[in-house]
Amino acid sequence: MSDDPFEAIKATFFQECEELLGDLETNLIALESGDTDIETINACFRAVHSVKGGAGAFGLDDLVRFAHVFETLMDELRSGRKAVDEDVVQSLLRASDVLNDHVTAARGAGPAVDPDRSQALIAELETLTHGAPVSGTDADAAGDMDDDFGFTPVALSLDDFGAGEAMPLMDLPALDLPPLDLPSLDAPVVTGGEQTGWKIIFRPHPRLYANANETALLLRELGRLGPISVEMDDSGLPSLEALEPLDSHLVWTIHLDAPVAELDVRDVFDFVETDCDLSIMSVMAEGAGASVVSDSLPDLDDGLPSLDTGAAAEFDIAALVAMAQADTASRLGGGGETAPVAETPKSTAAPAPAAPPVAANNATAAAPAAASAATAPVTIRVELDRVDRLINAVGELVIQQAMLAQRVYESGLARSSDISLGLEDLELLTREIQDSVMAIRAQPVKSVFQRMPRLVREVAAMTGKKVKLVTAGEDTEVDKTVVERLSEPITHMLRNAIDHGLESPEEREAAGKPVEGTVKLAALHRSGRIVIEISDDGKGINRQRVRSIAEERGLVTPDQILSDDEVDNLIFLPGFSTAQEVTDVSGRGVGMDVVRRSIQSLGGRISISSNPGKGSIFTMSLPLTLAVLDGMVVGAADQTLVAPLAAIVESLTPKAEDIHLVGGVDPVLMFRDEFVPLVDVGQTMEFRNEPTELKGGVVMIVETEGGQRAGLLVDAIHGQRQVVIKSLETNYRHVEGVAAATILGDGRVALILDIDVLVNTGRRRTTSLAELKMAS
Amino acid sequence: MTEDLNPVITLPAILDIRAAEPLKSELMQRRGHAVTLDASGVERLGGLCLQVLLSAIKTWKADGQALIFLNVSQALTEQWTGFGASPDEFVAQDAA
Repeated sequence: MSDDPFEAIKATFFQECEELLGDLETNLIALESGDTDIETINACFRAVHSVKGGAGAFGLDDLVRFAHVFETLMDELRSGRKAVDEDVVQSLLRASDVLNDHVTAARGAGPAVDPDRSQALIAELETLTHGAPVSGTDADAAGDMDDDFGFTPVALSLDDFGAGEAMPLMDLPALDLPPLDLPSLDAPVVTGGEQTGWKIIFRPHPRLYANANETALLLRELGRLGPISVEMDDSGLPSLEALEPLDSHLVWTIHLDAPVAELDVRDVFDFVETDCDLSIMSVMAEGAGASVVSDSLPDLDDGLPSLDTGAAAEFDIAALVAMAQADTASRLGGGGETAPVAETPKSTAAPAPAAPPVAANNATAAAPAAASAATAPVTIRVELDRVDRLINAVGELVIQQAMLAQRVYESGLARSSDISLGLEDLELLTREIQDSVMAIRAQPVKSVFQRMPRLVREVAAMTGKKVKLVTAGEDTEVDKTVVERLSEPITHMLRNAIDHGLESPEEREAAGKPVEGTVKLAALHRSGRIVIEISDDGKGINRQRVRSIAEERGLVTPDQILSDDEVDNLIFLPGFSTAQEVTDVSGRGVGMDVVRRSIQSLGGRISISSNPGKGSIFTMSLPLTLAVLDGMVVGAADQTLVAPLAAIVESLTPKAEDIHLVGGVDPVLMFRDEFVPLVDVGQTMEFRNEPTELKGGVVMIVETEGGQRAGLLVDAIHGQRQVVIKSLETNYRHVEGVAAATILGDGRVALILDIDVLVNTGRRRTTSLAELKMAS
Repeated sequence: MTEDLNPVITLPAILDIRAAEPLKSELMQRRGHAVTLDASGVERLGGLCLQVLLSAIKTWKADGQALIFLNVSQALTEQWTGFGASPDEFVAQDAA
């Protein structure tokens, strides 16, 4: 990370953008699925608003301009002035994609957004907001932008607030931020035409001043929007003796006599929103009083439904509530400055006898919001590098602890000795530290899943197919390294599922299926691993075609007998992908073998099961972490090896009579009334050419990802241990049958077995039971 | 001790968050006595010092003592009223 503090802040902003855009996408998808809850709309608004706010501070004009138009439409939706329908949601989703691109471009991580595309969407959003594009033609747009975003001197009508010149009120170190760009909407958004201004009740918290903000500045900013009159309530001000000079006791009511957009009013308070109590009410003409448009008391942000639309009767109620609220807010000023925010909705509701239903709703709607805010986890941002250093150190600690245990064991100390007991405690503690450290790196796969709806939209548009993406298990947590490397294979498989898996709408209709195909992306934990499933309800794999391609490419011989599963899995073979298959969408020169390799490099596996006419399921199984592993330390041919504990079902010493031959060649073990193939680990790994002595040998019954069981024949089992995984690829190269390596307590390197590969290779290599020297 | 203190406090030019504590303490030292505030050099007034001054006005009024603003600068007058504080109260003390 850069040492330049400005760059560091900017980097933080982009990190936040990533989260905000993720939230936006999630909530837009929720909207798309029919969840038009006000909180969902608010969440979308807040995400766009926050992106815009930060972008403004960094002078990212293109981003601000786009976000502003987006935000304006969101504002219309959340105020209820515009209804959420299918068209709107689709536009919003497209806008979210472009907003994403703008952020990526601003970060320098992608190409600049095509101005035509951006402009077209701005026009689309403006049409939805105002009924017609506001910005005019493309040619005008650039000119408009200067007008909108340059610093526009505003004729001040501060009748009694003489701060016409830009006079800093705080003698604080200059923040050197560009002037706040407050783009005023070209046309006021008041659709009813009766709004004349705003009534703002503002009560700063001490934090506002401590954060170098100043009421005077805010009042001056409001004054830029139009003529204001300011009322101050000092009834809460204690005597000088009791006054804590840094506490805040004053409450201001500001009447802004200009029908500007609510957004513009909010923008003034953008940076202090969490540091004050704020209530913004629209004022209607003809003495109708104030109508609550929104009440942004902190933590209850936008908890109130919009009340300024609809029938006249509702309007009166709204006005009453607003007035009651204004009174309450004024009184709050007298109640001591640390009145908890949670009390505010109660008192908001209480003095409105004329409107009990509305008030009651407000209170109930607001309460959960306050509660959830109270329980929201507190987080800090930590550079990944620091976490990794910690993880490495803990890894070394684990190794060191194991080595110490080994020394103690070798010294012949009794298990009940103080040192041994102390060592056991240390081991427990080490494990706890390790678990806690790993939890720091654990992240929900949501961050990857969130990117997929866009991909699906784009691929669907390119292929002309109708696709619904269903996701499940987004909160499944997995190590950050794994999360980061999931994106590519998932992207490729989703493309593949839509392009090759799903049929065209016509084909689907003809097959009696719904025109819209479904692709499901799910994540779940299964026996200490994370499993990602990508399933579609398309046509399934055309086995005949796969087989003929494989034969053409010389991957299988025509006389080879293959099960359906084996045929399906041929698509993962290197060289299977053919030029004929290359399409714009999924064929990018990357075959499924590359996907498989990238998953294998993570210690994962991929398999497919297909049902002709019904669809296919791709299953990826990956370790939860790439750092540690619970393993069984075993010996084979004088080598110490580690078998992942998750794969081991049971260990046993086989009896000679339980070992049989299938077809005279393949050794199998009778195990709990079923036969499992036996794999001689020492021989399979080529540590020796001779098969193992069964005398004193041990068999570990293991289960592969596909649920297939096998018995691994080893010389001895040394014990169960947690080992730190060291990548063999990074330090050496990939070795068939070896997933990784680790350092043992005695300082030696031990290989961690790749059970699936071992079982499959072993079955091919172990030729005959006759070669096994049966000792008994 | 308070008898020795100068009854005139010269207000600093910048009445921001950093001036609030010292201002209160200067005023409190003169509690119970008539105080004159020389406001001729005030250029900026922030919300927290506004509170201190408003509270002092109340307190001195309750004590029956005079708190006089002297030579109030144009900037202070404008900003005082800009906060919505009553200029009457502000000026009335002058006459007290």
